[in-house]
Amino acid sequence: MKGKVVKNQQLNDKYFFLEIKSEEFVTQAHVGQFVMIKPGSQNYTHDPLLRRPLGIADVKDGKFSLVYMVVGKGTKLLSEFHENGMIEFSAPLGNRFTLLENKRVALVAGGIGIAPVYWLAKTLKNRGCVVDLYYGGRTVDDVVLLEELKENTDHLIVTTDDGSAGIKGYVTLPFKENVETYDMVYTCGPKPMLRTVSEICINADIPVEVSLDERMACGLGACLGCIIYVKEGDEIVQKRCCVEGPVFDGATIAWDKLI
Amino acid sequence: MSDRLKTVFCGIEFKNPVITASGTFGYGLEYAKHIDISKLGGISVKGISLRETLGNPMPRIMETTSGMLNAIGLQNVGVYKFINEKLPELRKHDTKIIVNFWGKTIDEYVEVARILDDADVDMLEMNISCPNIKEGGIAFGTDPKMTYEVTYNVKKALKNKPLMVKLSPNVTNIRVYAKACEQAGADAISAINTLLGMSVNIHTKKPHLYNVTGGLSGPAIKPVAIRMVHEAFRTVKIPIMGIGGIMDWRDVVEFGLVGASAVQVGTANFIDPEIPLKIIDDLDKYMIDNNISNFSELTGTVDLSR
Repeated sequence: MKGKVVKNQQLNDKYFFLEIKSEEFVTQAHVGQFVMIKPGSQNYTHDPLLRRPLGIADVKDGKFSLVYMVVGKGTKLLSEFHENGMIEFSAPLGNRFTLLENKRVALVAGGIGIAPVYWLAKTLKNRGCVVDLYYGGRTVDDVVLLEELKENTDHLIVTTDDGSAGIKGYVTLPFKENVETYDMVYTCGPKPMLRTVSEICINADIPVEVSLDERMACGLGACLGCIIYVKEGDEIVQKRCCVEGPVFDGATIAWDKLI
Repeated sequence: MSDRLKTVFCGIEFKNPVITASGTFGYGLEYAKHIDISKLGGISVKGISLRETLGNPMPRIMETTSGMLNAIGLQNVGVYKFINEKLPELRKHDTKIIVNFWGKTIDEYVEVARILDDADVDMLEMNISCPNIKEGGIAFGTDPKMTYEVTYNVKKALKNKPLMVKLSPNVTNIRVYAKACEQAGADAISAINTLLGMSVNIHTKKPHLYNVTGGLSGPAIKPVAIRMVHEAFRTVKIPIMGIGGIMDWRDVVEFGLVGASAVQVGTANFIDPEIPLKIIDDLDKYMIDNNISNFSELTGTVDLSR
């Protein structure tokens, strides 16, 4: 697919917000899915070669949004796309979050893990849920879009490791205090955080959905580069993050094989 | 699509000379959700072994300059599950099916080949060149005597299906291996598999891949592949399927010029599943524009005069 870049806005030193117009994409997209996006004009060059997997951060008015962090060559090139430029990407890929109605839910996001959580918060709020978002980062530069998030949640609890924004400390601490009050938990971010959130939920007997982020070549289930491990009964089985995920039941993930 | 793209390879008529390469196209079904796979000349499915294989631990892939390293470790569902569960679905699509296969011993190679010989597939591609597992694969592909022996024994066991042998580029002289295959009775060769490579994260000082080394693929390896197909073509009479970094129709023509009778598109499938279909359309236009009535007219016509 191809679409026009509507906005490619720098949020701070690290983060960008990219908005792309594509009716075709938007009509197919579901909350929790991701897109493989071409980070440059590869009609002219094969470096970087592969598309990059990014969680869909929002969908509205025939446009979809992505939040990304500039970490390497690919994301640097992505940050150089101008407004009105054409960009290439895959169809929406992967499975989706389970969307509840009229329930109390907690979303726990760490760093760039905010991307799929943003759309999820908005959607759950529209479905009558009470939505609390626990959002952690290393520093003030790792927590973005706070105004927008505040509008789409009932409580926004921000934490940073160094205390430069919100509460000082890990995001899992304030979450743990309230876990019993929720019907369902959703989480996306670094793996140690996902593991802690999952364990807190398992102990409290609250269902938890985890969105995983793995390196991928194809995003279509063919390359077998994004294998994750899941418990099925007494067995540990392989799943492809791209097609059987990226959303998994946090209670089934074999974390020891993943981290 | 026109008749000019029809390509006869080992007596099998392919719709066109563009086949998707093993390891980059799953069992074909993954891609059937995204493109019309019946438009392809053929599909070479993910390397099949006697028993299910789980592959290597993660991380298994790493992007490099104009290429990627992989150390998947030949993960596959095993030959019986492939035949019972994947093949009937794949057969619903009108395209040729090549089954890439491997074993840990000559006996295992022969056993898998026998099973596939009786299955509803069009052709076998013997993998003696995977750099990512210790036993099997590469051990057979980097010793000409072993190449001869495994090819001879597998060929002897086959009654119905043509045998193509996929060569490793991780050798000093590919001509020797091409010749060994031909002498052992192979019906064709495919070249090349991935080049053994490695990359290291300078911050953690650890290799990017759990397996330490991996197979390099993508446009970065195309000049090596072109050279090796060229050398093989000038050594053997059996047909060659050219593989290595094909991204567009120009690359296909280049492989044809040095001696390929058909080609396989690999890593490009990861980038965009539409690429092989675009290559087929563009190749057709090229052939019309240049008054070429069959891809075989191009094969080996590189002009070496100076």
